[in-house]
Parts: sequence; C-alpha cells; structure tokens
Amino acid sequence: MAAQANIVGSKKGFLHWARSRRGQQVIIIIAFMIIPLALLFTFTYLPFGEMVGYSFFKMKYVGKRTFVGWKNYASVFSRKDCFGALKLSLYYMGGSVVQLVLALYLATVLSFKVKGGNIFKGFMFFPYLINGIAIGFIFKFFYTRGFVFDTVLQWCGFQLDNLPYWLKDQRINNISLVGTSVWRYFGQNMVLFIGAIMSVDSELYEAAMLDGANRFHQFRYIILPSIKTIVTLNVILSITGSLSAFEPPYVITSGANGTGTYFVVMNEIAHTQQKVGLASAMAVVLLLIIFAATILQKLFFKYVFRSAEDEDMNATARRDKKLAKYAARKAGR
Amino acid sequence: MKRKKVIALTLAATMTFSLAACGGSDEGAAETPAATTDEGEAAEAPAAEEAAPETEAEAPAEAGVTYASINLGEDYKDLTTTIKFIHHKTDREEDGTMADLISNFNAVYPNITVETEGITDYQEDSLLRLSTGEWGDVMFIPAVDAAELPTYFVPYGTVSEMSELVNFADQWKNADMCYGVGYMGNAQGILYNKKVFADAGITELPKTPDEFIAALQAIKDNTDAIPLYTNYAAGWTMGGQWDAYLGAITTSDETWLNQKFVHTAEPFKDNGDGTGAYALYKILYDATAQGLIEDDYTTTDWEGCKPMINNGEIGTMVLGSWAIAQMKAAGDHPDDIGYMPFPITVNGKQYATAGPDYCYGINAKASEDNKTAAMVFVKWMVEESGWCDFEGGYPISKTAPTSFVFDGVNVVNNITALEGEEDLMNEMNAESELSFNAGGDAKVQRIVEAAATGAETFDDIMADWTAAWNAAQEECGIEVLY
Repeated sequence: MAAQANIVGSKKGFLHWARSRRGQQVIIIIAFMIIPLALLFTFTYLPFGEMVGYSFFKMKYVGKRTFVGWKNYASVFSRKDCFGALKLSLYYMGGSVVQLVLALYLATVLSFKVKGGNIFKGFMFFPYLINGIAIGFIFKFFYTRGFVFDTVLQWCGFQLDNLPYWLKDQRINNISLVGTSVWRYFGQNMVLFIGAIMSVDSELYEAAMLDGANRFHQFRYIILPSIKTIVTLNVILSITGSLSAFEPPYVITSGANGTGTYFVVMNEIAHTQQKVGLASAMAVVLLLIIFAATILQKLFFKYVFRSAEDEDMNATARRDKKLAKYAARKAGR
Repeated sequence: MKRKKVIALTLAATMTFSLAACGGSDEGAAETPAATTDEGEAAEAPAAEEAAPETEAEAPAEAGVTYASINLGEDYKDLTTTIKFIHHKTDREEDGTMADLISNFNAVYPNITVETEGITDYQEDSLLRLSTGEWGDVMFIPAVDAAELPTYFVPYGTVSEMSELVNFADQWKNADMCYGVGYMGNAQGILYNKKVFADAGITELPKTPDEFIAALQAIKDNTDAIPLYTNYAAGWTMGGQWDAYLGAITTSDETWLNQKFVHTAEPFKDNGDGTGAYALYKILYDATAQGLIEDDYTTTDWEGCKPMINNGEIGTMVLGSWAIAQMKAAGDHPDDIGYMPFPITVNGKQYATAGPDYCYGINAKASEDNKTAAMVFVKWMVEESGWCDFEGGYPISKTAPTSFVFDGVNVVNNITALEGEEDLMNEMNAESELSFNAGGDAKVQRIVEAAATGAETFDDIMADWTAAWNAAQEECGIEVLY
C-alpha cells in the first residue's frame, strides 16, 4: 500500500513537473529535436556506420560476405591506383588557390563602385548555376582539337601545331580539367566574398583614407580581417572539394588517360569491379584525410588571424584588471 | 540600378539555358542491340503465368499450319482477317518503314489486315501484355523461360525442319519445336567504308592482324580518312566492343570464352600465329602506336562518328553489326558502309559469332484463322519483306537475298558456361578488375594510352593482366586446367 502510494506520488510528481514551465521547456525541446535527429541518424549516421562495417568485408552488392579484417585498408594504401589518385588532388588544390585569390580580388574590386558591376557579377556567377554534367559536355567540345579553345587561341596568333592536346597530353590534361572547376566555382566564392565585404562598415574606409591608407592597405587591414570567417570557410570547402573532385574528370574524360581522381577510382571499384568492401575502406580513409586536413587548416588560420577580437579581448581583460586594481587602490585609500 | 540587375539576371539565365541545352544526352549505351548474341541471360518468366489458362497449352501444333508448309503468294490468299503485330521498333513505326512493309504485304495478301503498334519500353511492357494473353497475334518474344514457350506461343515446326529455312532456329526451342524466328541477326565483325578501302587500293579484305594493320596503313597513306576510329572517349565502345571478339572468333573454340577462360593459366600469352586474346588487343595497340587512329582520341564523339564513316572520313570501326543501320542512316552514302569478318584467321579459317535479335512469336490464344494469317505474315516478313537486309542485319532467311557478305566465314556461337560454373566469370571479372564483357572499359583504354604515350609495352600490359588473372584464380579458388 505504501509502495503504491509512492508510485502514485512519483507519477503525480512527473505530471506536475511536465506541467511546470521547466518541464514544458524540456518536452518542447525534445519534441522538436527528435524529428531532425531521427532523420539525421537514419539517413546519415546509420548508413555511414554500415559503410564502416562493409569496409572490413570482402563483398559484392549481392552474395555472401567474408570478413577480412584490415586487408581492405592495407590495399587502399598499397595499391598505387587508390592512394596514388590522391596526388591528382594537388592539381585541384593548386586550382583552388588560384580560384580563391581570383575570387577575392574580383570581389574586392566589385565591392567598390564599378561601372556595370552587377553585370560582371552576373556573368561571373552564372557558371555556378549550370548543371555539372552540362559543363562537362561544354568543355569536352571546348577542348576538342581545333574546336573552341584552339580557334580562340589561333585568333590570338597561336599556330595549331604548337598547341598542345588539352585532354590527350597527360602532362596538362589535369590542368585543363582543373580549369573547368575553377571556371565553375570561382563566381560562387566571389559572391560569398562580396556578401561578406558588404557588411564592412564603410566609415572605416573613409577613416583609413584620412589616415593615408591606400586601397591595398584598406584590403589588408580592414577587409581581410573582417571577412576572415568566410575566407576560412571557403578555403576549407575548396580543399575538401579538391580531395573529392569528381564531376570534371568523370564527365569529360571518364577518368581515363591519367585523370582518374580518388572519387572516380572509388566509383570504378565500387560499381564496375563491385569490390564494395574496398570502396568503403577508400571512403573511410578519405573521410579521415578530410578530417585531418580540416583540423590542420583550423590551426593554421588560428595562427594566421591571431584575430583582432582575441587581442581585443585580452586588451579588455587587461584594462578591466587595471581598472579593478585602480578601484581597489582607491577603495583602500 | 534595378534595371541593370534585371538585365544581368536575364542575361545570365538566358546563357545558362542555352548552354545547358547544348549538353544533350549520351544515348550511346542505349543503342546497343536488344538481344545479345550469348543467350545466357534469359530472364525469369512473367510473374503472372499462373493467371494464364493452360487448357490447350500442350498440343496446338498438329492441327495448325507449319512455317515450312506455307507457299507464299499462293496459299491462304482468300483468308480474310485482321491481325495485330506489336514490336519495339518505334523508329520504324515513325519513319513509315513499317507502313511500307505492310502495304507491300497487302499487295500479295489484300485480305489480311495488319495493325502494328510500336512500344517504347518493350522489354517491360511486352512481358506485362504477354501475361494477359490479349496482346494481339504477332509479337517479338520477350525474356521468357523456354519451358513457358508452349503456353504463350505457336510453334513454327520442328527445329530441324526450321533450320533448313532460317538461321538461329534453336534460339527459342522447347521439346525440339521452334517457337521464334528472328527478324534480323547480329554478328561480330568490323564496320568499314567500302569507298575508303577502294581509294586506298585495298582489293581484298584483310584476314589476319598483320594484313589489317597493313590495310590501315594504306588508308593512311592513300586517303585523308582516319584508318581506325576508336571512339575512346565514349568508354563502352572500348571494353564493350573489343571484348566481344574474345572466344570463338579469336580461338575458333566455342567453349573458350564461357568455359575455359576462367581456368586458363595464361589466357593472354602470345600464340605467335596472330590468334587469341593477345592478337585481338595487339591490333588496337599497334594501330595506336603507328598513328593509325584518330588524332585526339580523348575528345571523340559517338554521335559525330556516324556521319563521318558515312561520308568516308573514317576507314574502319570495331562495332557489332547492330551499328550498321545507324551508320547507314547517318548520311548520304549508305551504300558505302560495309561489314567484314574480324581479321583473325585460325587454322586458315575466319570465325564470327552471330545470334538473332528479337524473334517473332505467334499468340497461342489467337483464333485458328489468326494463327494461320500470323504465320503467313511472319514467313512473308522473313522471306520476302527485305526488312532484315534493310536494317543491315545478319540474314535470318537462308534463301532471301542479302547484302550481308560474310564469305568463307564460319558462324559460331560461344557456348554457355558449364552447369555450376555460371558465376565463375563474374567472380573472376570482379576479383581481377579486368571485367571482360562487363564494363571493363578502362583496361582497353589503357592499351590506347600506353601505345600513344609509349608508357608501357604491349607485353607489359599482357603480363600485368595475366598476373591479375592468376591472382584472382587463386583468390577465388578456381582450378587452373588449361
């Protein structure tokens, strides 16, 4: 009897708690979070966990599976077509540097008053709106011997015989492909940069101008520190994108002729060769590499932008301390 | 300011649309033939088979007419009925070819009205309609089990009797009765432009790899045409086409591809006499190394190659005979397109694999008159219509005139795998990552790259393949027998 009363008591307690403000808060938070979290778990973490599991098996999409331990990971590192494909990412990283510098430069220029600035913005942004597959087809014809690119260069006085084969010559075909991805994405970076630069208080420019700062000084000391978050974000996205470059080589050259990036090789192994275990291991390895690259970049940028805010905060702290000391002394007196 | 923005956006949008429209679609893969020459993959019977009544399934043949007994143009001229023919050639329905064929048929048989219907998604649709039993009188047989044939279709006669009249009579057989006659055949050889060959001074078709390379060289020396167009960039035209010649064509052994290949220790060794897989792929390597292929192979275009070979800008292409009709249709010189046996000679003989495309089947549930009319119609289509030849197909009828010249060639078929070993080839393909006849385009593209850049010798590549093959045999536990 006593126990029952106790239960009733706790039930009452729970109901009471649930009706309370605090209880309502918790319930609403849980109710709102459970749906997105369930979706996130079901469609992101669960499949990912499955994939990590696959990476320890020798398996096809159908049929029996054999547990092979770390063998798949060993072959990711020992096969030259898997890990070696990452070398191609260096091309794409080089491209992303060009892309970001170009985007930052144009964004800075266009964020000041320029005639026809919006038209330029539109023109430079529009490649990003095109479907990647369509871009692939465009550039396939663009690079074809004697087609668009060669014709334009011939107008500029180049001889066809001196021009390289943009996609056939293995020394430059990766650069050609990187060119397409720079063309496609730099407009998007630029728009992000412009957005960030717009938020800079224009009075700062005037003040700087009065102090004798030129445009470069303004960029270096006002704009860059103000948009560092977006710069960091863009760099991280581009480096990650370089490691997982897929569309240009897949559509334009189908990864043939020495242009097979890590993702293209992974696709081939997973779908043509049906070595699902090995492909999963490649995916996991790539994920770890991307983690490592992101952390390194974070550290790097922390060092580069020992941010004005941080310094400010220190300064405020110091000032507060001083003030406190001063106040204490005053009080003591 | 606002107006400027609108202009910029409109411009951007217009350019985006116009450029995106240039993208087009890659239909290459979809144009491969409907039925492969290997008959290994007959799919499951339609699920609804139980629903179909099976009352008189077993013995319709005795009472009905047979294909052989019909005298075209004489028998059944007074038969009046309407039959319906469903097929997958929607392009022929649209361009009026089908209507022409029917009106020619009606010139002989005015009382038999033929309705035709072209179905876009034929593979799926035909199976669904088949299970209802109400689909008409003549159809192209979809993927059904051989055991189900008597339930759905009328036999044309015994296989041996039919074999006297048509090729591939054993494609759809059940209890020694023939249930399907092909509308055209597909064979494996090489597509070439007759005019280019004549201009280059090639009078006799090459029969060996050496002769073939010499012919390509002659084309290069004497004409402006590209001797061998690889279609490298399309991908499927590399692995998908070159691998198709493995087996009987290169070895004369019908059991090699599906039975012996997986058990062979050195399938890629140099036989020294221009035969085998080594000789097959070496043709591609040599042609590339000697500059006999297109200049910039990385930007080839499948749609673009069709008018090029039609207009004599290309000498040869390695494609199955299904491609003939497309190449003929692509320009003003359809008569220049020729088809020759693959230039490998084994013990003095050339071989070609061939098989039927879709086959005509007659509805077992049609009325007796309609069955007879349908049989007359099918026989007329095969023997008299000239449709097979019009499509550039390998001949079905043994007596009808054909422009498909495959002189002195033994037509053979790769025999399917031994029972219990059907999966070995798939396992080996996956394990070795060479994927023969299974999308292994990269390995054939590698030959072109190696030959063009001089990065690897042909023997290096073959040694590499052999090593991968042997490692895969060990991994899969496959016995090495040959």
